[in-house]
Amino acid sequence: MARYGMALDYKNCINCKACEVACKEENGVLLGADKHRIWVGQNEMSGVWPNLDISHAAFMPSQCQHCDNAPCQEVCPTNATYYDENGVVRVNADQCILCSYCMNACPYDARYVDDRTMTVDKCTFCSDTRLARGETTTACQNTCPTKVRIFGDLDDPNSEISELLRTREHFSLKSHLGTKPKLFYLT
Amino acid sequence: MEVEISRRKFLQGTVAMSVVGATVATNLLSNEHGSSHGATKGHAPSSITTKTSTGEAVEVATLCEMCVNKCAALARIEDGVVTKLNPNPAFPKSRNMLCARGNAGLQALYDPDRLKYPMIRVGEKGEGKFKRVTWDEAYKAILNGTDKFPGMAKILDEEKDNRSSFLFCAGEGMAEHTFKTFYGAFGSANWLNHATLCLQTVVSGYGVTIGAYAPADLENAEYIIMAGANRAEAIVTPDTMDGFKRTKGRGAKLICIDPRFTHTAAKSDKWLAIKPGTDLALVLALTHVVLTEDLYDKKYVAKYFNGFEEYKNSVLTNKYTPQWAEKITGIKAKEIYEMAREFMAHAPKAVYYPGRRSTFSNNDFQLRRAMAIFQALGGGIDTKGGLVFGKKLKLGAHEVIEPMYAQAESSLGSSWVNWRNDFVDNKQDYKVRGMFIYKHNPMLNMPNPTKTAQMLKKMELVVAIDTMPSDTVMYADVVLPECTYLERTDPVKTFGGVEPSIAQRNKVIDPMFDTKPVIDIMRGLTNEITKPLWEITKKYDEDAQEAIEEDGEEETFAEFDMRIPFKNSQEEINHHMVASVYGEEAAHHLHKHGVFYPDMGTDFKQLGANKFQYYPENKKAYSVRGGKPKTPSGKIECNIPNLAKKGTDPMPVWRDEYNYTVPDGKFRMLTGRHAQFTQSGTANNAMLHDLIFENYIWINKRIAEKRGIKFGDTVEVSSRTGKITIKAYPTEKIGPEQVFFVHGFGEESEALTWAYKNGGNDNAVIEDIVENVYGSASLHETNVEIRKV
Repeated sequence: MARYGMALDYKNCINCKACEVACKEENGVLLGADKHRIWVGQNEMSGVWPNLDISHAAFMPSQCQHCDNAPCQEVCPTNATYYDENGVVRVNADQCILCSYCMNACPYDARYVDDRTMTVDKCTFCSDTRLARGETTTACQNTCPTKVRIFGDLDDPNSEISELLRTREHFSLKSHLGTKPKLFYLT
Repeated sequence: MEVEISRRKFLQGTVAMSVVGATVATNLLSNEHGSSHGATKGHAPSSITTKTSTGEAVEVATLCEMCVNKCAALARIEDGVVTKLNPNPAFPKSRNMLCARGNAGLQALYDPDRLKYPMIRVGEKGEGKFKRVTWDEAYKAILNGTDKFPGMAKILDEEKDNRSSFLFCAGEGMAEHTFKTFYGAFGSANWLNHATLCLQTVVSGYGVTIGAYAPADLENAEYIIMAGANRAEAIVTPDTMDGFKRTKGRGAKLICIDPRFTHTAAKSDKWLAIKPGTDLALVLALTHVVLTEDLYDKKYVAKYFNGFEEYKNSVLTNKYTPQWAEKITGIKAKEIYEMAREFMAHAPKAVYYPGRRSTFSNNDFQLRRAMAIFQALGGGIDTKGGLVFGKKLKLGAHEVIEPMYAQAESSLGSSWVNWRNDFVDNKQDYKVRGMFIYKHNPMLNMPNPTKTAQMLKKMELVVAIDTMPSDTVMYADVVLPECTYLERTDPVKTFGGVEPSIAQRNKVIDPMFDTKPVIDIMRGLTNEITKPLWEITKKYDEDAQEAIEEDGEEETFAEFDMRIPFKNSQEEINHHMVASVYGEEAAHHLHKHGVFYPDMGTDFKQLGANKFQYYPENKKAYSVRGGKPKTPSGKIECNIPNLAKKGTDPMPVWRDEYNYTVPDGKFRMLTGRHAQFTQSGTANNAMLHDLIFENYIWINKRIAEKRGIKFGDTVEVSSRTGKITIKAYPTEKIGPEQVFFVHGFGEESEALTWAYKNGGNDNAVIEDIVENVYGSASLHETNVEIRKV
């Protein structure tokens, strides 16, 4: 029993896509631009060459926010989307009927259709692969060249992530929606 | 790697490898040979990506080969399928990272288009029609030829044992060493690799000036100028990742200088657009500020500079002022003043990043010299936060032979482009008639593929060793399929630096299909060709004839026996090279963990989710010579009169012909590398192709609008070299006089499912212009025309 979360030192991100590939290879995600559990957002550049707005050129790594109050779980008519014992938002493939309510409800656009399992799938924090084997972190965290992510138990006051969230300023995405994400962006 | 060489008359001196001499396996050609560490017989997975399971798995420590960095990886094998590559935290050089390419290495292993069997040509040259043969038949075809092409025996006999009538060329990789060992034993003087298409000018520029092409300590630098290097987007390696964790007010100020707004620009504190090929003027102006304002490290200069006064005099009398440079570079004088002052205020913890790129302009060698001198003016040489020489751990030797063939002519040059053009234009002093190509793709890797195709067609015997059916392989007469890096153990290697270590690529699974590692290929080939070719040597080589008379044939032949370097397996050679210096346990450690350095047991620790300690701070080799340059004189060489003798400026100066001009209506063609692709080598990787499915040409948004070019429109790009078509990406990230597209696309080989005619090949429009010091291809000297089609 834990309450897993992730802190992102997002200013380190160079949009190299190592996390995307590691996620696909670890979790057997199908190829295709619309088949991803994890991505990096990038703004269109503003300004006219050579006067471009450098402060606007941030990369924003993102994935399922594993909300404590997940809209996708709330709208699921078959309870295919559920919270597991570690607070991770998961999907039961047998119960999913592909109604796609969750895709519309998710404010973070984190759900996608896996054509093989016919499930509206999502990031699992590697719960059914790495964590199930007793490993302590996700594929994206482990592989990152600029070390953007820290993964751990928010309920454990001694965990690295808890310590970090106590000592560094951070924000959540779309916090006004009351979704209570468990992804924290460090400033 | 330390290599002990046995030359003629020195053979008796060679004692290396005597230990393992007795353990030669009886069946040297067997696939099982050397699979001592439980490597599994592999089979292909059923889908492109495979979800890892919670069942039983084997883990093997190996090294990546998706780019040049060689990051350490741990391969997970489930029921004979490699399901995941994870970073191996134990390697100081890669610090627990694998980039997108490293993670996609599985797709290189399971690429359905891989070369699977030895083949010989049955169609016309370049047509790509081959028939499958056995390894034995392939080796015999190389020796004796077929009705379509002559063999080595005929060529060497007709060329009177001129071993240099064969060209050897190779791409970068750990097994390149093994291929080069074959080249040395064969006795040709013609060796070409990526150097003059890659790092030659920077390595040599820094080499002659400070004595080494030294890495930059970006973990501790406080001020970094990164000009013409795109480390957030080109090769992603840990040494530069350190810098990106500290930019934007977090400890290091990064100034990015590039004609394009790259990802590196996005991560920097300031981006300055520069006119292509004018960096030398910028560095001279920075130097001018430092000299006129007395900002340099006077102690360092007094102790370690040669020719300082001459250089100072040259920079001052030529009036390389920031105002002068502004007109040439397009960078405002005020920015140049600020940069020079800030750099020196932070020096020696300031880095003018040396770069890891290919040659862009004709003045590249002088640019690198000027950069190295500017760096040294701040005293940031062999010091924390500056350029660091570091330490290298010793390795034991293994036996190679480099016999002297009396009939072998001397080298026809080391510039790839010049060599190729001279060959095609019949300008060489003697006939070269055959070539061996290892992991190299001349059809894609250098300007003007039409000329490369002419070379490959004219070459009577072309033997290609590769994993993929590249454009170049299509021109081969004999194709020898190498297994991928995950199916072989490669030569153990020592990696120098602030935190030195030794690492080894261990075989993850046995070679699939009928493929082999290079060492096995060389063993098989030399078994076939050594004795018949020795007969030719005996016929023409007067020195050899004399030696036979004096010492007898057996003793003389032992010096020419090409089989010697390949008699042991790679595992045996590596074991010996490590155990002979560090003991048996170290060799076993490398085998199991992939990485070794003394005191690793006590010093290597995980300190946090993203932090490892390899060496404690007081053991790091930031400074190994007290700042003393590594040149033979022990000084920074500002003025090198010997260069003048070769027609090169002895000190970096600006010349009018370096000025940037683009005729009206044309564009300067820029190229570059990408974080998800390594040249053409990864072009057919399904996973990487999924990330960047084709290359687009960057064209300034306002110019595109004027010409009616919208995103995704197909445009034709043409130059004197040729033309290609490519889709357009209008953007403000590039200036109005330039266009850019990334290298590694546009292969013509139909055997490549994903890469075939995918995007545009930059080298099909880049002109074969070379700089005059090393003959390196200058990739940013071509103007092109653009037309919407």
